[in-house]
Amino acid sequence: MNNNLLVSIVLMTMMLMSSLSGCIFDNGSLLAENYSPDSGPCKGAQIGHNDDGKLRILTYDINAISDEMIEQFTNQSGFEVEIIRTDDAGGILEQMFQTKDAQQADLMIGLDNSYLQSAIDNCLLQYQSAEVENISAESLSQYDGDFAVPFDQGYVCINYDENYVDGENVTIPTSLWNLTEEQWTGKIAFPSPITSSPGRAFMVSTIDYFENDEDNTTDAFDWWRQMRQNEAIFTSGWTESYEVHYTGGYGEWTDGHIGDAAMTISYCHSPGVEAYYSSNWTHSKSLMLPKTSFHQIEYTGIINGAANVVGANQFIEYLLSAEINSQMPEANLMYSVLNDTALPETAGYRHHSEIPTQPCTITNERISQEMDQWLSKWIIEVEY
Amino acid sequence: MNHFNFEIKYYDYLQKIIAISAVIIFAVLSFAPLLFAIIRLQTVTGVSVFSAISTFFDRPSNLESLYFTLVEASVSALATVVIGLPIAWHLARSEWKHVRIVRALLAVPFVTPAIVAAMGFLALISEGGILWSIGIDLRLETGFIGMIAETFGWQHPGHFIALILAHAWFNLSLVIRFVEPPLSTFDPRWEEQLSLLPGGNSRINRLRNLWIPFIGPAILCSAVMTFLFSFTSFALVKWLTPFSTTMESSMANMGGAAGIVGYRVDASMVILSTSAVQFLILMLTLILLTMLQRRNNSRVSMISENVARNNHGKLNLIGKITIFSGLIFTLAPMISIFIASFRIRDSIGNGQFTERYSFDAWVAAWQGDLSYVSASEALSNSLIYAVVTLLVSLPLGWILSSTIHSLEKSNRMKLAKFVDVLSMLPLAISAVMVGLGILLGILRYNSSLFSFFLIPVLPHIMLTTPFVVRIMTPAMRAIDPAFEQQAKLLNLSPLRCWWHGRLSFLRGPAIVAASLTLAFSLGEFGASWILVRTGSWDTLSILVDQLMSRPKFDPMVQPVAMATASMLMILTFILFVIAERFRPKGDGGGI
Repeated sequence: MNNNLLVSIVLMTMMLMSSLSGCIFDNGSLLAENYSPDSGPCKGAQIGHNDDGKLRILTYDINAISDEMIEQFTNQSGFEVEIIRTDDAGGILEQMFQTKDAQQADLMIGLDNSYLQSAIDNCLLQYQSAEVENISAESLSQYDGDFAVPFDQGYVCINYDENYVDGENVTIPTSLWNLTEEQWTGKIAFPSPITSSPGRAFMVSTIDYFENDEDNTTDAFDWWRQMRQNEAIFTSGWTESYEVHYTGGYGEWTDGHIGDAAMTISYCHSPGVEAYYSSNWTHSKSLMLPKTSFHQIEYTGIINGAANVVGANQFIEYLLSAEINSQMPEANLMYSVLNDTALPETAGYRHHSEIPTQPCTITNERISQEMDQWLSKWIIEVEY
Repeated sequence: MNHFNFEIKYYDYLQKIIAISAVIIFAVLSFAPLLFAIIRLQTVTGVSVFSAISTFFDRPSNLESLYFTLVEASVSALATVVIGLPIAWHLARSEWKHVRIVRALLAVPFVTPAIVAAMGFLALISEGGILWSIGIDLRLETGFIGMIAETFGWQHPGHFIALILAHAWFNLSLVIRFVEPPLSTFDPRWEEQLSLLPGGNSRINRLRNLWIPFIGPAILCSAVMTFLFSFTSFALVKWLTPFSTTMESSMANMGGAAGIVGYRVDASMVILSTSAVQFLILMLTLILLTMLQRRNNSRVSMISENVARNNHGKLNLIGKITIFSGLIFTLAPMISIFIASFRIRDSIGNGQFTERYSFDAWVAAWQGDLSYVSASEALSNSLIYAVVTLLVSLPLGWILSSTIHSLEKSNRMKLAKFVDVLSMLPLAISAVMVGLGILLGILRYNSSLFSFFLIPVLPHIMLTTPFVVRIMTPAMRAIDPAFEQQAKLLNLSPLRCWWHGRLSFLRGPAIVAASLTLAFSLGEFGASWILVRTGSWDTLSILVDQLMSRPKFDPMVQPVAMATASMLMILTFILFVIAERFRPKGDGGGI
């Protein structure tokens, strides 16, 4: 093989790339104009795909949307349903950004309140006119507008292993600073806020926690730096933290479990779910520290550029119907958003699920405005 | 006669058009998405790809992943040679009946989907797994492995060893495929004669003067290829080393957020800089590989494999133990997956569980009880993608090989080498980079393609065509031109000349290439993973990962994932058996 030939191919490729990069910067303004957020009120986007009578739903791997449920909706409404799936809530937002010029789905299901405002600010959603009722005030506390309707909720919070926190050698933490002490060295697994929705929700709540504590000289990022110094484990997603590292959950029964963390981030009702699947038995517990939990509400909304708005509204009504929404705790392992619904008593589900009284109170608007900045700061404290 | 001349001229003309079109189509398919992706990323980040390379070194996590990737790939290459060489040696240098079956079994891992390998090793090393049962705890790192960690202050040696073993398992057949054929057809008289000379009268002298020059380049070739595949490892790293990331896996984690103007610029920056650095490293590796392959092509005296084997005699005890250990090593992860797919845990209260064995998980997987898509739907998607990939890759690869061969025959060596290198270049672009290229370079420019069912075929074509070329080109070179000339002398039409002079000799290699294309497409993970997280193109290998990534409060989820992995494994295995039936005896060419 002629090496010079190879080297010249590499160089040619590079040169081609760089010469094209010149074109990019010339045309950059055109692209940027298409992709920058509208400064004024949102306009209706062009319909992104043909209306062939199908309802296209953009969602992530939500247990709630089962085959039977879709089938029932199709029988009732006559609309065929096609699911377009991303890997998590962040993926839904990113997909809507990517296809902004020609949206491929009609309805999104799964953006939570840490992402919703970004979608609204960037005109990715349109008004919905579904007739839904009986939604609890608590579920509407974070957003009560017309762009989205809540369909399930839960609280993201710290979970710990009661076998480790025995009250003698290790006591229940009373402050987040306790977690920087030696007994927690290498014992906490955090899903990264960069790549995980629960990780992101918890990072937001730490900002609220340290903004409201008595010490004005430190902030959340000082704490995150100390957590890194205390050898906290950072993982890309919830599954890796909870299943691979956490000793208090079902992970100990799965292949690949390491079990080196006695604390992680999950939902406050995760111990309830553990008990539900293990005949009312769990040694996992949620930590009820003020401001350390995040009230996560997941929404559904009609995408700006949807072709099948009628079908999308009907699906929202269907998802919020008592028959479907009251099944959320079993079907989707989340709370329903309807009034007078609660977790089932079965196998200790409700008994082991605590509801925090003082969750984080940072608004969606602030999250939307400051998230990029927080994430950059977090990267500096944890990675550098 | 005039009509016939016209036909030949027309045929030559047509052949040239087809050859040029194939080269252009391949180049556009392979590189256009990547160029568009780079343009998009440069727009978002506001920096050129060259500046991005320098920013790569500013972020500590990038450096960590670069360091880890280089170390794991190098150690994997070394370990694969250390494990594979004795097996290849004993496999080649003895007389025995079942050599083809054993050779085929040892080669299965190479076509096993990466996600299946990951699940297999996870089941093998976890508590209750085969390795754990014999006291080697690579996952929880207790006992002997824990001692290593403490003594050397080495963090997570168990996970690292597990990854290296998995890479060695995966690439074992590369060493065997490269080293065994020359050894098994080597004329033993050379060795006998050399042992009478001063330069070969001792083992060390024979090693220095015979074996190192003879099989050294082949060993190095297989080591470099192992380095290449381990460098871009994703599924195995994702599941086996939870504390470390390769450059490939860090790109995969950030990929979804990249390429959107005004949103998560950090993600675009990581993708742009990491892909540029990774491309450069892989390019250098490929250059090294092509240099080594040229050296490896040197001819030595070869005789019939059977004659050579008869001369060596029966397999001795050490040989038997080596081959047997190799087979156990090959089969253990697969057996572990099978067992795990039948094992179901039931709660009996108070934290106590019982285990039972049943087909429940297989039924649930087939019906899709725990996932959006059932294994049967994902299987049909996988098969459709694999067949469409085959329909494009095989003719495209064939024409590219034929073009290289024709150029070589007409002594236009530089142009032949250019097409040869061009066809290999996609190997320098990892699966995740290919997936990101399509996502950022095509889908974000034309959103309507998000609903195009056949989009995943594109990365599969890009990733499998180089393998078709690697298999077909040596096969074409090996055809004796006398056959084609004789066919021409018989005044046969160009088509019949081609049929009798070439196709009949290329049927075997073409079937091998076809089966491998199907197997690679079925098991492709990296590119599909990137695309599937932004669409609804579910394949069997993606379904395994999706199931494994689900919360497993419900104890059925894991067995269902393992059952899905088993289905994929069986399908790949069937394809491989077909390929092996058609592989010519003593053929170590291609891959």
